[in-house]
Amino acid sequence: MSILIKGVSKNFGSFKALDNVSLEVPDGDLLALLGPSGSGKTTLLRIIAGLEVADTGTVLYQDEDVTHHSARDRKVGFVFQHYALFRHMTVAENIGYGLKVRKTPKAQIRDRVDELLKLIRLDGFGNRYPSQLSGGQRQRVALARALAAQPRVLLLDEPFGALDAKVRQELRQWLRRLHEDIHVTSIFVTHDQEEAFEVANTVVVMNEGKIEQTGSPDEVYHYPATPFVYRFLGNVNLFHGRIDDGRAHIHEKETGHVVYVRPHLLDIDRIPNGGDHFRARVRHINSAGALVKVEAITEWGALVNVEISQDRFRTLQLIKDETVFVIPKDVKIFNDSNKKLAS
Amino acid sequence: MSTEALVKPHIGTITIRRHAQEDPAWVRWGLTLFALAVVGLLVVVPVVNIFATALSDGLRTYWDNLFTDPDTRQSIFLTLTVVPIALVANIIFGLTAAWAIARFNFPGRTLLTALIDLPFSVSPVVAGLMFVLIFGLQGYLGPFLRRDGYSIMPYLVSILGVGAFIVFFLLSRPSNPLARNGLWKQGWLFVLLGSGLVFGLLLFVQLYFHVWPRNQSLKIIFATPGLVLATAFVTFPFVARELIPVMEAVGADEELAAVSLGANGWQMFWHVTVPNIKWGLVYGIILCNARAVGEFGAVYVVSGHIAGKTDTMPLRIEKLFQEYNLPGSFAVASLLTLLAIFTLIAKARLQRKIPTTANLPEPTQSESQS
Repeated sequence: MSILIKGVSKNFGSFKALDNVSLEVPDGDLLALLGPSGSGKTTLLRIIAGLEVADTGTVLYQDEDVTHHSARDRKVGFVFQHYALFRHMTVAENIGYGLKVRKTPKAQIRDRVDELLKLIRLDGFGNRYPSQLSGGQRQRVALARALAAQPRVLLLDEPFGALDAKVRQELRQWLRRLHEDIHVTSIFVTHDQEEAFEVANTVVVMNEGKIEQTGSPDEVYHYPATPFVYRFLGNVNLFHGRIDDGRAHIHEKETGHVVYVRPHLLDIDRIPNGGDHFRARVRHINSAGALVKVEAITEWGALVNVEISQDRFRTLQLIKDETVFVIPKDVKIFNDSNKKLAS
Repeated sequence: MSTEALVKPHIGTITIRRHAQEDPAWVRWGLTLFALAVVGLLVVVPVVNIFATALSDGLRTYWDNLFTDPDTRQSIFLTLTVVPIALVANIIFGLTAAWAIARFNFPGRTLLTALIDLPFSVSPVVAGLMFVLIFGLQGYLGPFLRRDGYSIMPYLVSILGVGAFIVFFLLSRPSNPLARNGLWKQGWLFVLLGSGLVFGLLLFVQLYFHVWPRNQSLKIIFATPGLVLATAFVTFPFVARELIPVMEAVGADEELAAVSLGANGWQMFWHVTVPNIKWGLVYGIILCNARAVGEFGAVYVVSGHIAGKTDTMPLRIEKLFQEYNLPGSFAVASLLTLLAIFTLIAKARLQRKIPTTANLPEPTQSESQS
């Protein structure tokens, strides 16, 4: 079931949660709504689910306009951030609830519940209550409950937000495999870019109620459309600069353009190799980790973060307070009106 | 804390102080004894005394005092009539108010929350006088009620009927706009025509068959309706007050989950909301009931104190006491005390079962996966 969102806006009092958002989700896609808190991603998900009503705009499932349909009639599976399992029902009753209210015969409900319990690897847990399960188990029950009635669309609100790192990692991979098996159009909300990249086929980056960029994880990471996307997807160094003859001149006093460089796209050397470079003084070195993190101060007093490999670090024998040359390998330049110019 | 204290808290008969910040023994004993003495003097002794005096002339007299005296019997019967009606009214009101306050954000929400507490802060006597002022002979509605009070009843009943019809319409209408065919499509026309029909039909039936007496005064003050109004007003906050924090603690997510799984409003309410709030509701009902049974001030003002007619149990206790019939007065009082003791026990047992933000089951974070 494909989803089409056209010009959706939503205000909470004076706060603009969504500002004229349009989005197309192809059938069978696994899409991540990625953004900082307050970017409107959860509001958009709830509008798609029918738990919230848009002020303006339309929501279409395939060709059917569902803008004014209640959540009950949209046949979506919704997974809440804090699971929202019915605490007085057993796991089996929770999973079967959607079938029960849709008047499915009892035997059929039992079969479907058994099948889903196997799918979420909790067979034998049917008679337990949610309070007797761990966080990860509850989240899987919530997922099974959402899937029980064969929803047209699966929507997940920060599905792994309340879990610890190890469980989250396992569940991400599990969700990805599950989607490969059942292929229902799925949208999940997350503020964790790593999670979005790892699980989703399509990533939608949102900020302040607007969509900044839509694309595959690869596209979004390597070809960010706006400075916000570039900044949001990882650590970044920011320089002001000016463009002359196709070359960027960076200095504190320059204006007109902003140059972004990721720390791992900078290199350090003792001799200028003839290409682009600037001078900086090493202030701090942190060599614990896969990459060595170097903090340096440029001649004009700006802080620059550089990440070099352990091998490179050993070859250079860097020490604190020495002056080195910083060599950018790849930069992104945006002008002041936030338009991308060059890479 | 010394290491020695950790290993051996007791050496011989000397108790080592386990916490540096623990208060000295005389403070602990002094405060405990003072509290016990106050409770004993002000609570235990009087309660024991009630039963002692009630039973002072033997069980036989106790029984006679309660059930053979026609006025006392009538007062028990009246209390058993007034309290359930007031309770039902307050349960319905409490549920709607708690739902509105916990689930919706509307202008005037804070005002409503504050107004619910009003009966707590108004003296019951003032509450009683308020009703006398409205419904009493000299009150605003007094002359009308006295002349032909029942003439308003057909209209009231018909309006209630229309309300019920609209609720029924909204509940039974398919929620999906696409699934509405025929009459359902013309929703508002249907409601308008139906309401008119229901109103007219009910009015006609009542007027044609003379359901209500004509040219008679409708007594509210100095009669059962006044007692119900006064009792309901005084006990008005209990159910709502108990339910609001419970509903806020439970949150709306489970209800939304039920809706997204295909439940209609009615199913959501009975399958999810009621099981989640039931202990809070029972708790509120028990407190409300205890207060309603024991209400004196407001009821005193509106009852007119007609023996065998408008005396509820607390009023009857006072009257017997004024007549120097101590065993009789204390016999009725012992019934109220028994109810109070039952309420206390129920309260202690229920409090643990009510979900609050503090005791909601939180997901165990650090558990590894199966």
